[in-house]
Amino acid sequence: MKKLFLILSLLIAALVSPVRVAADDHGGAKIDPKEIIFEHLGDGYGWEVPFNHHKRIPLPIIVWGSDGLHCFLSSRVAHGETYVDGDASFKIATEGDYKGKLVEIIDGKESKPWDFSITKNVLALFIAVIVVAFCCIMLARWHKRKGFEAPRKGLGLFETIVEFVYNGVVKSTLKENAPRFAPYLLTVFFFILFMNLLGLIVVFPGGANLTGNIAVTLVLALLTFFVTNIFGTKHYWKEIFWPDVPLWLKFPLPIMPIIEIFGMFTKPAALTVRLFANMMGGHMIVIVLTLLIFIFAEMGAAALGATTVLSMLFSIFMLLLDVLVSFIQAYVFTMLSTIFIALAQEKAEHEHKEKAEHEHKHEEKTAQAAK
Amino acid sequence: MELFTPDFGLIFWMFVAFAVLFFILWKWAWPAIMKGIDSRADFINKGVEYAQNAKEQLDHAREEADKQLVEARRQQAEVLREADKMKTQIIEEARVAAQKEAQKVMDAAKVSIEQSRKEAEQSFRDQVSDFALEIAQKVVKNQLADDKAQAKLVNSLLDEMEHNN
Repeated sequence: MKKLFLILSLLIAALVSPVRVAADDHGGAKIDPKEIIFEHLGDGYGWEVPFNHHKRIPLPIIVWGSDGLHCFLSSRVAHGETYVDGDASFKIATEGDYKGKLVEIIDGKESKPWDFSITKNVLALFIAVIVVAFCCIMLARWHKRKGFEAPRKGLGLFETIVEFVYNGVVKSTLKENAPRFAPYLLTVFFFILFMNLLGLIVVFPGGANLTGNIAVTLVLALLTFFVTNIFGTKHYWKEIFWPDVPLWLKFPLPIMPIIEIFGMFTKPAALTVRLFANMMGGHMIVIVLTLLIFIFAEMGAAALGATTVLSMLFSIFMLLLDVLVSFIQAYVFTMLSTIFIALAQEKAEHEHKEKAEHEHKHEEKTAQAAK
Repeated sequence: MELFTPDFGLIFWMFVAFAVLFFILWKWAWPAIMKGIDSRADFINKGVEYAQNAKEQLDHAREEADKQLVEARRQQAEVLREADKMKTQIIEEARVAAQKEAQKVMDAAKVSIEQSRKEAEQSFRDQVSDFALEIAQKVVKNQLADDKAQAKLVNSLLDEMEHNN
């Protein structure tokens, strides 16, 4: 209980601080909630130092400009400065289409180079990769070394989740195909789960709104799309281009095939948007609740005190809810991916029947043998 | 609208990061973990099955033991009864044998008594006849002086013989 209290108070402190500092920056001037929200939800070329709004941890910028590759630290272009590297000059656009992005200035005009920068989100991605890889390899080592002994504490929890996903989702849906797709699905699950949870930590190693970024969820959904279609069976493709429907539905006007092909793409789109919207929504609500304090601060001390308490309570509630949502969304993404893959693994009906009959016969035989 | 436009750099790095992570886990983590989980589940199942079997066997063994105990008691009683029967039989046989033997001895005694009686009788008879003859001789010597008396005697002897026979 003491520990929990400590964690909660730290959480509150961590939550309040960036916004408090943000409010201080403006020195009594009106704060711009929209800007703050989008800054926190979006990507950035530096990572905020905890409790300080001015300093950023500089991150490497890697761009392919008009005259080749340029690498430099983001501190060179901080605070709207222009960085000149050889013939090319770069700056972070403050307005226009590329607002907040690094642009190359060519003849006084801004143009976007190919941007491979290690931004805040990319670094968070790497941290998530390292954390997931570390946890999984620790568990694998345990299994190799200790054999049948069950792990305890952290590893035990981790293994419980692995078993929950592997047995509860992958095995029960994919049956005999499970070992083939389990590595992909488990990787997706834990990658999403850890990205979600790291996103909820407000200060440095976390805080990046990764799964609330459409690029990340898009890639994950595309991977599921590829896996589904590359490993799809003949029957799956037949169902798409020549489904079992009355002839007039597929010839001469291929209505059903068009719908089916459309369905192929709506599945990953749904995956993308579901994860993205859920995680971004959660982050946004927490930030907005915290910002309420500063919006009400202008109304006087009483209003400030009341909103502070209320906002904090709601923020904590939302953060705890987000922990749950983190797990649920990772689970849902994995489950839907499993179902899509399983649907593409279906064999034709008669094949299925034959197989079932064969199995049935086999069972009978073994039963007889047992007698 | 920045939120809804995927950033090229992030997409690129996401692919790279996922590929690296997937490769690492696919190569070093998931096979070992999946194998570990599956084999442990099998191990536990086997253990449970084994325990159930053992319990069943134990129950069975108890039953068997009880059955054997009952059987042993039954056999014991049977053996005792048999022994009892045998005992009486042996006693009976012994009695019969003893009786037979006694009978035999008695018979032999009877025979020998009879024999010795006969012998005694014979010797007595011989003696008596000797005495008689001696007496007769003496009497005859005394009395056979007269013919009448001789004839009377012969007649009386003949009568006696006749009478005896």
